Amino acid sequence: MKMANYLFLCVVIAVAVAVTVLYAPGVAETIESRLLVFLSTNAR
Amino acid sequence: MIRFLLQLIGILILIPAVALGTLRFENRTADGPSVLFPGGELVSGELYSGPEPDWSFTDNISTIELQLNDSLSSRLIWVMESDGKIYIASGYMQSFLGRLWKHWAVQADQGDGLAVVRIDGVRYERQLIRINQGPELEGVAAKMTAKYRAPTTREAIESGSTWIFELAPRQG
Repeated sequence: MKMANYLFLCVVIAVAVAVTVLYAPGVAETIESRLLVFLSTNAR
Repeated sequence: MIRFLLQLIGILILIPAVALGTLRFENRTADGPSVLFPGGELVSGELYSGPEPDWSFTDNISTIELQLNDSLSSRLIWVMESDGKIYIASGYMQSFLGRLWKHWAVQADQGDGLAVVRIDGVRYERQLIRINQGPELEGVAAKMTAKYRAPTTREAIESGSTWIFELAPRQG
């Protein structure tokens, strides 16, 4: 993939992820709870 | 092929990085911190007024919400009661990363130290006073070691490795 297309794809993905986290119900809570489980399992 | 793999790796890093950055951004003005991210001003909850409470009830509380007035950000933090007073701690203060991570402690030490804590849904207006040395640090270190299994000594505190703040009543 050409660099210009790749950077455009990155921007589209970043916006999509941000909008999903901000506005999709339950997504933020799910990410945070799974991250918490991961950290509490692996952190020392 | 290598170029494609690198681009794929870049996207796989980008997605969680943007998600976490968005979560942190979203939480910055929330009424209190989440478990992972700092929050904003503590707004809800009764504002306590009256005589100094018996803080021994905090022995059964793992973390409290601490908000500095400058800047208006909040985080979860351990609390230790000792000799009728309550204290909070900030560790790793002799490393660059620690001071960056625990920037609130630097702000509290260098600023006016005005803060609000929320414990069991009740807000208390307090003033953070850093305790650098003194016999009271023995009790604080012992409580921190026993309550959180985080071995600490008076010497570690006095050396500046761990900063201890008393959540004192506000003056005036």
